[in-house]
Amino acid sequence: MSEKTVAIKSRNSGMMRDALVRLFRNKAAILGLIIIVVLILSAIFADIVSPFSYDEQDLRQRFLAPSAEHFFGTDEYGRDIFSRIIYGSRTSLLVGAISVTISSGIGTILGAISGYYGNRVDNIIMRLIDVMLAIPNILLAISIAATLGPGIVNVMIAVGISSVPGYARLVRASVMSLRDQEFIEAARSIGANDARIILRHILPNCMAPIIVQATMSIAIAILSAAALSFLGLGVQPPMAEWGSMLSNGRAYIRDYWWVVTFPGVAIMSTVFAFNLFGDGLRDALDPRLKQ
Amino acid sequence: MRDKLLEIKKLKVIYSTDGKVVEAVNHIDLEIHKGEALGLIGETGAGKTTTALSILNLIPNPPGKIVEGEICYNGQNLLKLSQKEMRAVRGNKISMIFQDPMTALNPVMTVGDQIAEVIRLHQKMPRNEAYIKAQEMLETVGIPGNRLKDFPHQFSGGMKQRVVIAISLACNPELLIADEPTTALDVTIQEQVLDLMEKLQKEFNTSLLMITHDLGVVAEVCETVAIMYAGEIVEYGTIEQVYNDTKHPYTRGLFDSIPKFHEDVKRLKPIKGQMPNPAHLPVGCNFADRCPDVMPKCRESEPVVIDVGQNHLVKCYKYVDGGDQA
Repeated sequence: MSEKTVAIKSRNSGMMRDALVRLFRNKAAILGLIIIVVLILSAIFADIVSPFSYDEQDLRQRFLAPSAEHFFGTDEYGRDIFSRIIYGSRTSLLVGAISVTISSGIGTILGAISGYYGNRVDNIIMRLIDVMLAIPNILLAISIAATLGPGIVNVMIAVGISSVPGYARLVRASVMSLRDQEFIEAARSIGANDARIILRHILPNCMAPIIVQATMSIAIAILSAAALSFLGLGVQPPMAEWGSMLSNGRAYIRDYWWVVTFPGVAIMSTVFAFNLFGDGLRDALDPRLKQ
Repeated sequence: MRDKLLEIKKLKVIYSTDGKVVEAVNHIDLEIHKGEALGLIGETGAGKTTTALSILNLIPNPPGKIVEGEICYNGQNLLKLSQKEMRAVRGNKISMIFQDPMTALNPVMTVGDQIAEVIRLHQKMPRNEAYIKAQEMLETVGIPGNRLKDFPHQFSGGMKQRVVIAISLACNPELLIADEPTTALDVTIQEQVLDLMEKLQKEFNTSLLMITHDLGVVAEVCETVAIMYAGEIVEYGTIEQVYNDTKHPYTRGLFDSIPKFHEDVKRLKPIKGQMPNPAHLPVGCNFADRCPDVMPKCRESEPVVIDVGQNHLVKCYKYVDGGDQA
């Protein structure tokens, strides 16, 4: 009896372990992961890490060049850019995470239903997706954000919805290739219903492409959110957000380069980190790609 | 005589693609009694798997469709059940072993999860109890219980088929359908798997429908046998009746094409020709074009099934009008 419980508790997930080993052998992916971890930590501990508050104005200290006191200089209201970037990582990461959750959630459900049932259901869902795909991603996000009104939550919804089609198509393709596998027929033959077959048997088998798509599109989501904020549809002042910092600083680009450079570098390195990590994850989760 | 467990009456299944209609199963009658092992033999495309899938009502639709007939299980027509009622039968009362164990298991679920899944689907039982039951099932099929948390890719082919057997027997079904369970395995493993199935079938008192194209497998495991050709059952009887007193020319052809150890033969005797295209079946007997004993009336009308003694059924004109009839 005790032996049995021991056997039940000892989890031996060989596939995940193999994938992790492959991931940690990939130096670029680890670099990406380190940057992401640093960003997450600084976002969580922004109050402690940043030397100033994000809305602490001092008009006597406008446009100070980067120095020991203000690492990245100050902006047009004398706010410390370094602190604002750290606070901005909160918004950007949150936007990235939540909008990807929205898009991958909706996209996976739509794609799974469409791929599993096929025929008319598939046709209806896929034609709707085609309509969405016909509109450029950022334009779609802008129109959704414009309809919903400015604000960070609406940005997340807008960016999330605009990237649903990618997931839906990806998941649909994976589901269609899995649907006719014998183990799905076997699952049906033991009396599993459709919901169970989709959730327990099909989706876990197409997790790898979904995870990869998610890490990759966090970067795209952060960029889109920055673009929306740049256009004034996103985060409202004085909240710090990298896109809006860029947008506000662009008037001063000739004389005070640091006002726009550092938020831009922040966006770039975050996107870069997520892309590196996503690439590494794809290689790690797909054993066929290993050399 | 034992009670009838499953009775297939006049079952007809068609597949329609691009306007073409393929009669995969053509009015077959079959019965399985409690505890009986029935072998269903036929070459590729004879409709064996289609028959098996119809019993579980799992014919992929479209393109497949059951157009006529009844499948009575304990007197209840399975084809009339709702999807929900049917799901309660699948895996619980009737379960199936698939041909290829390599693909019949979900690669991302542990074998323990997969055995426990069928148990929890049909028996209201807490998680850990289901896992203990799963472990017992694994040990019943001869795999150490501590491998419960292993994934399918960590098992060999023969062991995977054992896992599949464990899944199919976990709920103690009354009928087990084995669709070519040993085709994908090598000969020594075949023997082990067959022994295991035979042992478990006796132990659990399960009825067995063994689908295969291997006459040897049937001789080893089954009591009765049905020979299928182009969607029809051409001969049916006990192993002794069919193997020792072979009636239908097709069955005789099958036996002739097996190599014999005690005779020195240069060449095997195959059955000439090909199975007719199921989309264009001939008017008379389906086997007429390949039959060595063909008669003019074979091409004119379809022969009826006749009993040549003690429920030994043959669908052939040779035995009508006295002839060999005892």
